[in-house]
Amino acid sequence: MNSLRLAAGLALSTLGTLGLGALGLPATPDLFLLPVGDSARRGGAPLAMVAGLLAGLLEDLVSVPGRLLGLHAFTKVLIGYVLATIAARTVIEKPAAVGGLLAGAVVLESVALVLLLWILRGEALLPPPLLVLSRAAATGLLAGALQVASRVPWRERREARRRMKLG
Amino acid sequence: MSTPPLTSRRPEILLAVLLSACLVALSLQVRRPTGESVGERWLQSILGPFVDLVAGVRTAGGDLAEWSSSRRALLSENRQLRSSAEALEAELLRLRGVERDRDRLLALFGAHAAPPAGTVAARLVAVEAAGPFRTALLDRGADDGLSPGGVVVAAEGLLGRVVAVGAGTARVQLLSDRVAAAGVLLARQGRAAVARGDGRGGATILYVPTIEAVEVNDPVVTSGTDGLYPTDLPVGRVLSVNRKADSLFWEIQVAMAVDPARAARVFVLPPVRTSDAPAGAAARR
Repeated sequence: MNSLRLAAGLALSTLGTLGLGALGLPATPDLFLLPVGDSARRGGAPLAMVAGLLAGLLEDLVSVPGRLLGLHAFTKVLIGYVLATIAARTVIEKPAAVGGLLAGAVVLESVALVLLLWILRGEALLPPPLLVLSRAAATGLLAGALQVASRVPWRERREARRRMKLG
Repeated sequence: MSTPPLTSRRPEILLAVLLSACLVALSLQVRRPTGESVGERWLQSILGPFVDLVAGVRTAGGDLAEWSSSRRALLSENRQLRSSAEALEAELLRLRGVERDRDRLLALFGAHAAPPAGTVAARLVAVEAAGPFRTALLDRGADDGLSPGGVVVAAEGLLGRVVAVGAGTARVQLLSDRVAAAGVLLARQGRAAVARGDGRGGATILYVPTIEAVEVNDPVVTSGTDGLYPTDLPVGRVLSVNRKADSLFWEIQVAMAVDPARAARVFVLPPVRTSDAPAGAAARR
């Protein structure tokens, strides 16, 4: 079940990233981080790291211009492990907490990317801080919104609406 | 502090595996400003000793092949040198033989620096020593200018004279023959005498009075008084000196200067002519 949920999340993230890229928005949320965070909260560290690996590879594939294959996979595996570790020790249910955690994950991933590129290429390629912050904020807001949406009892409401129509 | 079980360490192991795989993939793609990728540099660092080992083995193999080639070349050269040395040794032996022949000839010419005209070199091809008669056969004859009466000498001294001549051979009567005789001179005393062959390989000197002090090893040469032989040709040395009880003369045994069995090369001088008195002086030269 978790695997199907992960596959669906990765597919939606890919489509969403491509769509947002086509719109040319200045600050887009990190959609690939959402299934990683979801896997960390539901399936534990192994699933979160596998989700991070797959999401990172997809992100490396669809990124324009083409990045190094494995760059985001590395950081997202790390983020998946960190998120799973945090989720194993605390209960994070509030949308704000989820949004804040994923926003922090975006910042952490940016730092990890800088360090990784510095190690690999021998030079530090710092991204614009404003861009990182706006990306983190967008990701946090989207994650919080999705958390709010996930807490709505959609099935009960649909059943109640159907009973009202029949009654 | 106890080690946590494997199940609880699995996430960390998986994390390490995934991160390592990503790093390896990245290192194979990323190129540093120097132009080489990190993976290549890591690979070079890891494979460096192996490459050095392979290079060392290759160098050693090359050296070994070179050594083997050099060894083969040296062995071949050694074989050639041995063969050459054997050939040179054979040549040396041949040259030594030639040198001995030359020395004999030089000795002959030394004794007779200017041999008389008509002197012929010859070989003793046979010596007949059966019974009291001592003769030898030469490989030269009348066709080579030999004639009866020719004086046969070797490097060491007088051998005999030619008594019969064929077209290609000549027979020599040796001085040790029972019926051969020659006028001789005891060189130390200046005493003339007659030497006669004893038929046993030597000669006996007759008619030397006992008042002459004759000693063993005294040299005996031809006197030229017989009209057969030139003067001063070595005949031999005194071997023994005896006296019979009622005799006024010594009985002197002479060891011949020339052993016919060992005189392979000889010279035949022209016969001495009685009317040609100075011929003896020419032969002495």
